[in-house]
Amino acid sequence: MTTRLSGTKAAEFLYAEALLLDEGRWDEWLELYLPSAVFWVPAWRDETTPTQDPQSELSLIYYRGRRNLEDRVWRARSGMSVASTPLSRVVHAITNVLVESAGEADAVVSSCFTVHLFDRRSERSHVFFGRYRHELHHVDGAWRIAQKKILLLNDVIPTVIDFYSI
Amino acid sequence: MLKGRLAELIDDRPGDGVFRVSRAIFDDPEIFDLEMRHIFEGGWVFLGLAAQAPQAHDYFTTTIGRVPVLVSRDGEGRLHGLVNSCPHKGSRVAQRLHGHARLHVCPYHSWTFDSAGQNKAIKWRKAGCYSEAFDASSHDLPALPAFGEYRGFLFGSLSAAVPTLAEHLGEVALLLDLIADQSEEGIELVPGEVTFTYDANWKLQLENCSDAYHFTSAHPSYIRVLEQRKAQTDASVVRSVWESSDYWTGDAQGIQGGSYSFRYGHVLNWGRFGLSDALPLYDRATVLAERHGDAKRDWMFNMRNLTIFPNLQIAENASSQLRVIRPIGVGRTEMRTWCIAPKGESAAARHQRIRQYEDFFNPSGMATPDDTVSYENCQRGFASRVEPWLQGYARGMTASRPGGNLFSEPLGMQPEFSVLADAQLCDETLYHSYYREWARRMLAGSAA
Repeated sequence: MTTRLSGTKAAEFLYAEALLLDEGRWDEWLELYLPSAVFWVPAWRDETTPTQDPQSELSLIYYRGRRNLEDRVWRARSGMSVASTPLSRVVHAITNVLVESAGEADAVVSSCFTVHLFDRRSERSHVFFGRYRHELHHVDGAWRIAQKKILLLNDVIPTVIDFYSI
Repeated sequence: MLKGRLAELIDDRPGDGVFRVSRAIFDDPEIFDLEMRHIFEGGWVFLGLAAQAPQAHDYFTTTIGRVPVLVSRDGEGRLHGLVNSCPHKGSRVAQRLHGHARLHVCPYHSWTFDSAGQNKAIKWRKAGCYSEAFDASSHDLPALPAFGEYRGFLFGSLSAAVPTLAEHLGEVALLLDLIADQSEEGIELVPGEVTFTYDANWKLQLENCSDAYHFTSAHPSYIRVLEQRKAQTDASVVRSVWESSDYWTGDAQGIQGGSYSFRYGHVLNWGRFGLSDALPLYDRATVLAERHGDAKRDWMFNMRNLTIFPNLQIAENASSQLRVIRPIGVGRTEMRTWCIAPKGESAAARHQRIRQYEDFFNPSGMATPDDTVSYENCQRGFASRVEPWLQGYARGMTASRPGGNLFSEPLGMQPEFSVLADAQLCDETLYHSYYREWARRMLAGSAA
């Protein structure tokens, strides 16, 4: 039986990840990531060019290893970060899901995202938008994220962004 | 107008051991307007690095206060600071953050300027029936009334009535040397600019850079993450510079750092790091000592937060950041930030510097958001006038000494005031320098 990822299954996977972030189910969210996962949010060199090489150029976030995401989750829950307490409300909307390549046990999926954020404390709403590129591996009977690249298009950041709001 | 109000804004009575600042200077729109005119548009401000326009005809754009500025390198390699506004109808001429252009063509009516700002063409000039008076006037992009460079750091002023750049920087030039001398090739900005805003006054950022007192209070989540990483280290986590020292924890004994205040509002606070391999500079430690001597090399390895009033901050702590403060409104500020680094450092050092930077300095990182949200909390609190005076300028009052001390001597540096601090002193008198310069510029401008 083939495990080749269909467009429908790819979209379901991305929607499920979005829901976990929206509902703050971060332990389940982390489970989607392989221990070696790369989580990358490039910065921009100028108006039109994102940074391309995380080794020699700046990113907004670049982690190689799920452990670093676990640190971020820990921090956001710790009660020791005023930026994370109280948490903003977020909803991720994902569209234009496209399976760019699909093998027996791996796939590359591109999509568009819009994250609406409401910070009750400051009574401000923000919208963050851009494109995702997921590299997925089929491991132990389930799809897992080997790499997630988040290209944030509106990168003049209003005070805070974090893993749950992009 | 300000002259009559100054006593109700800054209460500076050294003889009585009093220095207080009123909440009004952070949230009064009239004061903000005066700041734009007299501080940002009336004196030296930082523009950028020469390295942002490295080749002939390279340029970058920035602002002085509300005024758009173009910094361009001409065909002979000379840098020019220009007002980025067409003499014809006022349009911004250069549109991009940075780029390369032999000619800048105004997108509105095609007036054209070379990379030195000189007008090269006025469209359909001969047919334009211009008067002699028009022909007799300059059509160039106006040069900034004052523009200067110190070791790759570019400054400009919209007013010609300023001291020379050398006088404005004074002793702080020695602290810029500590950055510029980290490589024989000079310094550069790592590609990738990060810009963020916060809804609070610009002076909160000014102060926070110099604020040793907040670190363990505002950033415990970051500190705990670093502790967890150190306890269980592996290749997936970046090492932290903070592990090399415990001066910042409050537990260390003896002198752990301190502050220096300089003329014209510049300040430095610093702490001991020591020669740790957690610092990206470590692989140059021997070379730098041979070239500059042990004392200066050791200073390069210290934690240093430098402010050159009013808009430049270079923070060498968790990594190395160059920040430019751009006030937008009395309660809104934009920060343009970069990772500043010595040219030619090893790939491993550069990689480590970048990773350390992202975690601490980015608005998507684990520390800066806890600062900026605190600024916004302050801004809300500033609305109160029940007790208008703030009490955040009093720590270190009895520790401040005129002149330098044993740590400034090896650099040959003569600050106006210095404080030697143990781990818990967390001097606040260095802010006095900000507000004395603030008052000087505001009064000088108001009198003009």
